[in-house]
Amino acid sequence: MNSVEVSAKTVEEAVAEGLKSLGVKKDNVNIEVLSEPSQGILKLLGSNKPAKVRLIVRRESEEYIMDFLQDLVERMGVRGEIVKQNARENSDSGLINLEVVGENLGVLIGKRGNTLNAIQYLANVVYQRQFQLERGRVLIDIENYRLKRKKTLEHLAKSLASKVKRTGQEVILEPMTPQERRIIHIVLKDSKDVVTYSQGDEPHRKIVIAPR
Amino acid sequence: MQVKELVEHLAKALVDHPEQVEVREIEDERAIVLELRVAVEDMGKVIGKQGRIAKAIRTVVNAAALKENKRVLVEIVE
Repeated sequence: MNSVEVSAKTVEEAVAEGLKSLGVKKDNVNIEVLSEPSQGILKLLGSNKPAKVRLIVRRESEEYIMDFLQDLVERMGVRGEIVKQNARENSDSGLINLEVVGENLGVLIGKRGNTLNAIQYLANVVYQRQFQLERGRVLIDIENYRLKRKKTLEHLAKSLASKVKRTGQEVILEPMTPQERRIIHIVLKDSKDVVTYSQGDEPHRKIVIAPR
Repeated sequence: MQVKELVEHLAKALVDHPEQVEVREIEDERAIVLELRVAVEDMGKVIGKQGRIAKAIRTVVNAAALKENKRVLVEIVE
């Protein structure tokens, strides 16, 4: 659905109703007032005409969030381009996989992916708010950082698991994002020697690897 | 300076009243202070639960400010 026409007592009411039915925020639509409300001079005659507006969705959500990120990257003083990645197999259809391509993009990644995670978090909050969605669904990668990080975490998980087995003592990892914690849980889920669980509250939630 | 526009860009996308977003830049030799003002009802939208959104804004701004060789402080003011 890309546009709606709504009638109400006032223009504001009609716009609010239209936004609700489209499920988008005001910034994302063009508003056309088709008719202003008018009250007959003689109210008694009941000749009140309602306000009528048309709302047209300006940009689709994917395009919106790509533009948002493109502007963000430029304002961070980085030359990079936001491109869409092909959806991976078995991936959620609502997921938007984006990648930043360019040179010297390290500043966008930061220490242990801190900056990249902050950018992705903000992109998801903005995406949810602008389109009134319940969950954010934007994933951003830069120069295969996520893939490399995944390998690093898998390696770390395995070596810590053998340490836990050897010493019989549990190990608490540094705080990680849900995505990163998931990688560790998965790689150790069939281990005969250790169990994994998370403790603490976001964004300080940490994984514990404990002897089974 | 670009970091001011960066904060504006982020704040405007986060709030309900982008037209009321205002960023003031106060600069001295060592640091730049960016004072972010938003509509009262939008305060929570730029701060977030336990300050999570504000923290993410600061992380992004600090990354952008690295090459400026200056500390950039983002303050959300009423």
